[in-house]
Amino acid sequence: MNRPVWLACILLACAAAALGQVDSEALANSQQDDESWLMYGRNYSAWRYSPLDQIDTENVGQITPAWIYQTGESGKFQTTPLVRDGVMYVTGPSNHAWALDLKTGRELWHYSEPVPDDLPLCCGKPNRGFAILGNRLFKVNMQATLVALDATTGDVVWEVESADYRKGYSNTVAPLVVNGMVVIGIAGAEFGTRDFLDAYDAETGERRWRFWTVPGPGEPGNETWGGDSWKRGGASTWITGSYDPELNLIYWGTGNPGPDLDGAPRPGDNLYSDSMLALDADTGELRWYFQFTPHDVHDWDSVADPVLIDVEIDGQPRKALVHANRNGHFYALDRTSGEFLFARAYTDVNWADGMTSAGRPILIPGRTPTDEGTLTCPGMGGGHNWHATSYSPQTGLYYFNSGDGCQIYHGATQDFVEGEFYLGSAMENVTGEPREGSILAVDPGTGDQRWRFALVSPPTSGMLSTGGGLLFAGTQEGYFIALDAASGKPLWRLQTGGPVRAPAITYRFEGRQYVATAAGSAIIAFALPR
Amino acid sequence: MRWRVLTLFLSLAVVAAGQELERSPFHGDETSIGVGKASFRLRCSACHGIHAEGGKGPPLNRGEFAAGNRDVDIYRVIALGVPGTEMPAYGTRNTEENIWRIVAFLRTFEAVGDERVDGDAERGEAIFWGTGGCGGCHKVGRRGGSYGPDLTRIGRSRSVQHLREALLDPGKDLPAGYFVVKVVTRDGRTISGIGSGIDDFSAQLRDASGKLHSFLREDVESIEREFTSVMPSYGESLSDQQQRDLLVYMQALRGEESR
Ligand code: HEC
Ligand code: HEC
Repeated sequence: MNRPVWLACILLACAAAALGQVDSEALANSQQDDESWLMYGRNYSAWRYSPLDQIDTENVGQITPAWIYQTGESGKFQTTPLVRDGVMYVTGPSNHAWALDLKTGRELWHYSEPVPDDLPLCCGKPNRGFAILGNRLFKVNMQATLVALDATTGDVVWEVESADYRKGYSNTVAPLVVNGMVVIGIAGAEFGTRDFLDAYDAETGERRWRFWTVPGPGEPGNETWGGDSWKRGGASTWITGSYDPELNLIYWGTGNPGPDLDGAPRPGDNLYSDSMLALDADTGELRWYFQFTPHDVHDWDSVADPVLIDVEIDGQPRKALVHANRNGHFYALDRTSGEFLFARAYTDVNWADGMTSAGRPILIPGRTPTDEGTLTCPGMGGGHNWHATSYSPQTGLYYFNSGDGCQIYHGATQDFVEGEFYLGSAMENVTGEPREGSILAVDPGTGDQRWRFALVSPPTSGMLSTGGGLLFAGTQEGYFIALDAASGKPLWRLQTGGPVRAPAITYRFEGRQYVATAAGSAIIAFALPR
Repeated sequence: MRWRVLTLFLSLAVVAAGQELERSPFHGDETSIGVGKASFRLRCSACHGIHAEGGKGPPLNRGEFAAGNRDVDIYRVIALGVPGTEMPAYGTRNTEENIWRIVAFLRTFEAVGDERVDGDAERGEAIFWGTGGCGGCHKVGRRGGSYGPDLTRIGRSRSVQHLREALLDPGKDLPAGYFVVKVVTRDGRTISGIGSGIDDFSAQLRDASGKLHSFLREDVESIEREFTSVMPSYGESLSDQQQRDLLVYMQALRGEESR
């Protein structure tokens, strides 16, 4: 055998082996695979819990950076890296992405795609991560496109446009791979777009289904929008959902109705804005929905993680979906039927006085934004906004962050103009009352708070819990911290020099446990000293 | 990198293209004015006030602008910002149309001119450096102390209402980034001053003598952040006339003092 042929064989064999690894079964079993991190929420239930326990409450004080990768890209670094086969795949702001060598932190390839200059944006140019299937990576770009990359080279395999960015659509979500399809949401509800959830064939990029989160004329739910307001109804889908393989249901939260703060042009409940959707994974058909904030006028997107937990509630075992909503309440729903189980306020709430038995908030009058402004708690960003949450089966606790404090909401009527903000005004901070934050540990069966770790600033990072009894998180001021997951006691911290805006991940490589996070514009991987 | 250069180029092009027009293409158009007003509330009201009445930025509802009174002058300030001040540049974030719509909104206010205060700038200056003791904490040009904010350009960057409030009720609307840190040590001493940083594990502060301190929360009894002012209120100690003189003096501080 001559040398080139022999070499090609080896390379092919390697490629095939790698290709075989991340199939649908590997994704379904991701919770058991502690060498990898294969999807946004780590498993289909979106737990962000790894059983790895080499780093634990006793020795976490000794962890140090094993390597640091500086991306050199400024902007909000909110990614959940993926790890597989000795490589870390990272997406960054402004359509950048990198593959990094796990042994050294050195760059293997760099992908980038320009962001159009005329793209209307509300909130910067972040991206929240890749999805993987076979030897392909999937990511969205700011201009509402979805690309498939070859994991070995970073080359584009296919690229599709999911919506016209000139109309105000954009994208930041980490895709979710289910049954050979790449499921993605969309952003743009600040610009009067009508939003959706899409599934694309992972092989070809062909669209397999689309679910419009605002129903069109003749479809059930359209009557919850006065006049033709549904056309600009928003209900974006900018955070990754979860999946129950047994029920074959995809769960995905939706964002605010448009215009955000002015309810007058859209009389009615405005389905399916601020809702949890359960869709048939194969067809995209709606199985059930639950709306958290009917006719929202405070911009309380309900996109936060839908986390799937089997837990006892009121003495009954339940297949639950738990979710910390931006409106200040923690919810538990039955994920087979969408039935409301309970809701508990976890921060100051002054707009609702509890819930009806069906889970509809009982409104306190006088909280609608006015020209002069109305003080409402929580503020626009919540409560818990979108940052990744974690459920530890070891402690039985659910972890999420909360922005605490109120804001003054000012309304104003405005006509719709394509590509312009369609918000119906603004929020203002209360003078002398800074917005603060906290990290919360909640019993998912009751909503009881077990502990609360106070933060001087509204939270920016997501959560990771581990079998070592630890909860990893970060702060706006740049600290990356480890808390005792059972008590909330801080055990270790490092000042990273830049805000931590992402959730951490953990994986095992050559026998060592690593914990990695984005901080500032760098990726830092920590481990115990050798 | 390539794209940064290009983006910069494009954003300058936005500014250049905008400047070719003298007048907002949306002048007088109701829909555009509504969009401009909503954009203004969203992006600008934190500094310029929800009704453009001013506050931590100058009032923009008086129909007159220091930057010039043609639409294009206002466009230019919004697109390029005012370097070295809190006024950001929006040319890279907002579309050209959006900025013109904001201009169309700002042109809906009738010209009423600056608020007139009946006082004397020279007497105000004397109080500032003399009996008022303001110069001990504030700089104008190169002269003065640095415990409080530099006031060299304060007349241009704040409304009269805000300046009056700063004199009478200094804690009411603190400049961005100002807070007081109060630390109680394990041996019972209290150290307080203007905070330069605070986080979940530490705090840094500057005391009245200008000395810097840094504390870890785990090393002290308590660390508290307070949104109060360290500046005395002058409602009692200065007469109405003296207050007006100071206001007129501060209104005249437009950054022209030698630095
Ligand atoms: C963080 C505070 C801040 C924000 C936000 C802000 N400004 Fe300003 N603005 C200022 C300050 C301070 C000045 C005065 C600068 C100086 O010293 O000349 C200013 C000056 C201006 C001027 C010039 C006024 C004159 O008389 O010449 C205009 C016009 C203006 N801003 C418009 C806007 C618009 C429109 C927005 C929103 C798109 C905005 N500003 C957002 C702080 C702000
Ligand atoms: C003990 C020091 C001190 C003295 C004396 C003092 N100031 Fe101040 N001043 C401050 C500090 C510190 C701030 C900012 C935050 C605060 O209020 O604590 C401030 C804020 C201000 C502001 C608001 C600035 C802005 O950016 O909005 C004005 C105006 C002002 N002072 C004017 C005066 C005048 C006029 C006098 C004298 C009559 C005076 N100050 C005396 C410390 C002082």
